Amino acid sequence: MITNFDKLCAELEKQELEAPTGVASPSTYGQLLAIYLYQNDLCNAKFLWKRIPQNITSSNPEITAIWAVGQKLWKKDLAGTYQALAAYNWTEPVANIIRALEEKIRERTFNLIGRSYSSISLDTVVTMTGLSRDAVLHACRDHKWTVNEDGVTINPTPPVQPGPLHTSSEDQLFKLTEFVSFLEN
Amino acid sequence: MASPLEQFVNNVRTMSASGNFRELCEIIGKSDEVLQRNSAHLNTVLETLDIQQHSLGVLAVLVAKFSIPQGQGDVDRSTMFQQIHDFINNCNGEQVRFSPDLYADLCHLLTNHLVELKQPIRGIEILKKAIRKIQLFDSQLTSIHADLCQLCLLSKCMKPALEFLDTDVTGIGSELGGNNDSKHFLLYYYYGGMIYTAMKNYDRALYFFEVVVTVPAMVVSHIMLEAYKKYILVSLILNGKISPMPKYTSQVVCRFLKPLSAAYHELATSQRAAIKHREIFVRDNNLGLVNQVLSSMYKKNIQRLTKTFLTLSLSDVASRVQLSGPTQSETYILNMIEEGEIYAMINQKDGMVVFLDSPEKYASPETLCVLEQQMAACTKLHQYIQEMDEQIQVNPQYVKKSVGTHDEDIPATSQNTKTYLVPKSTYSM
Repeated sequence: MITNFDKLCAELEKQELEAPTGVASPSTYGQLLAIYLYQNDLCNAKFLWKRIPQNITSSNPEITAIWAVGQKLWKKDLAGTYQALAAYNWTEPVANIIRALEEKIRERTFNLIGRSYSSISLDTVVTMTGLSRDAVLHACRDHKWTVNEDGVTINPTPPVQPGPLHTSSEDQLFKLTEFVSFLEN
Repeated sequence: MASPLEQFVNNVRTMSASGNFRELCEIIGKSDEVLQRNSAHLNTVLETLDIQQHSLGVLAVLVAKFSIPQGQGDVDRSTMFQQIHDFINNCNGEQVRFSPDLYADLCHLLTNHLVELKQPIRGIEILKKAIRKIQLFDSQLTSIHADLCQLCLLSKCMKPALEFLDTDVTGIGSELGGNNDSKHFLLYYYYGGMIYTAMKNYDRALYFFEVVVTVPAMVVSHIMLEAYKKYILVSLILNGKISPMPKYTSQVVCRFLKPLSAAYHELATSQRAAIKHREIFVRDNNLGLVNQVLSSMYKKNIQRLTKTFLTLSLSDVASRVQLSGPTQSETYILNMIEEGEIYAMINQKDGMVVFLDSPEKYASPETLCVLEQQMAACTKLHQYIQEMDEQIQVNPQYVKKSVGTHDEDIPATSQNTKTYLVPKSTYSM
C-alpha cells in the first residue's frame, strides 16, 4: 500500500507552481496537504492551508477535514487527532495517504511513550494512541512492555536504537588521508 | 529614413551577429531614452528581433517597455507575464550575462507586476529559472534572489525558496556588489530570515537577521531596523535572552537601532511588556512572534529546572514554572521530550518526573558523521579564506596603502572582502 510519497509530493508541488492562474485543482491541494501531514511538515501544511483560495476550501469539505487533523497535530492533541481522522469518510486518493498518516502517528506515539514514561496508566495510552484497550495490551506485548499486577499501569521500555552503521575501512582511511593532508598543507 | 529607433535595431543586429556584446551593452545603456520615447513602436521592434540571437536587444526593449509607469502611454500589460516568461526561457544566457543589471531589472519589473496582480505564486518557477540562468555558480547571490523570496513570502509558499537559502553565499553578482545599492542584498537576508522563522528554523533565521544588521553601514536602513527587531525576538525564542551583536557591527547601527526598538528590549526583561507595548508589536506585525516568545519562556524555565533538580513532582514543576497544574506540566514536558529539548522520564503512577542527562555519549557513528561533515565544511571555509587573502594581497589599492604610509596601522580592507560572506552558523556544533 505504501507508495513513494516523497516523489508524489514533488510532483504535486510542481503542479501547483505551474498552474496557469496560480490556482491548482482541489485534488492537488488535498493530496499535498495530506502528504505534508504525513511527513510531519506542519509548517508547510499550515502555509498551504492558508494559501488555498477560499472558494476551494468551502466547496471541498475533504480539504477542510484534512486540515482539521492538521490543527490537532499542531496543538499536539493526540486524542483529538484520532477523532478528526475518524470523523470524515475519506475518498481515494487522499484515503490512501490518510491511512499511512494514521499508522505513522501511532508509531511515533509508541516511540514517544517508550522514551518519556517509566510508568503510564493504560487509559492514557488508550487516549494517546486511539486504540481499544485490548489492542493497546496487545501492542504492549509486541513492544515487550510489562503490565503491572493491578492491570492498569504499564511500564514502557525505551525503544531500541537501530544498530550502528558500518562504513568501510577504506572509506574511513580515505577521509583520514584527506584530513591529514589538509592539516599538513 | 534612419530614425534613432531604426539605428538601434540595426546596431543590435550587426553587433549581435559579430559577437560584439560589450560594445552593444554600451549602446544599449545610451538608448534607454530613445526606446522609452518610442513606446508605441516597441512591439514592432520586438517582432524584428530574435530572442535567442538578439537577447540583449530584446532585453533592453522589454525593460524599456515595461518600465514606463502605468497611466502614461498605453502599454499593454496583459501579455507582460507571457513575454517575460518566454524571454527568460529562451534567451541566450551568455549574452545576457553581459548586462546582469538590466536582466535583474526585468525580474524586478515582473515581480512588481505580479505583486500588483496579487498572483505572486505564478512567478516563483520562472524566477527560479531566471536565477539559475544568470548565476555563474550555485552559491552566487544575485539581486533576483530577493524577488524570489518576496514572492514566496507573499504567496505563503516558502518551500521553493529554501534550496536557494540553504546554500551559503560565497560570491555576489556584479549587479549587486561593488558600489551598487545594497537594498536587494539587505532584502534577501531579511526575507530569508522571515522564511526561516516561518519554517521554525530559528537558528538559521537568527543568522540571516544578523547578516542584515552587521552589513557595514554609514547610515541605518529601515530594513536593518525591522531585521533588528526580529533578531531580538528570534534570539529570545531560541536562547531565552538577547544574543549580543558581533563586534564588527557598525557603530551607527548600535547607536540608532537600540533606542528605536526599546519595546523589544523591554520584552527581554519583563513579560508584562508584551501587554504594555501591544500596539507597537501589532503595528510592526510582530505580535505572532511576541506570543511565541512568551510560550518559549515556559520551556526555558523548565530547562532551567533540569539543571537544579534530579527528580521533581509534576505539581512542583507546575508551581515553579507558573503553569496551571500537573497535567499542563506533563504536556509541556512530553512535548519537550519529543522535540529533544530535554531528556526526562515521566512516572505517571507517582506523578514524578526524573530529569536525565543527555544520552549522547559522542561515541556513535552518527557523531562521527557529523564531525566529518563539520570538518569538511571547515576545510572548505579555509580554502575560501585563502583565496580571498590572495586576492587582497595583489589588490593595487591594498599594496599601495600597506607599503606607502606607515601612519595607518590598519590596512584598508579592499572591496573584495565584501564578496565573501562567511557562513558562521555552519560551524557551531
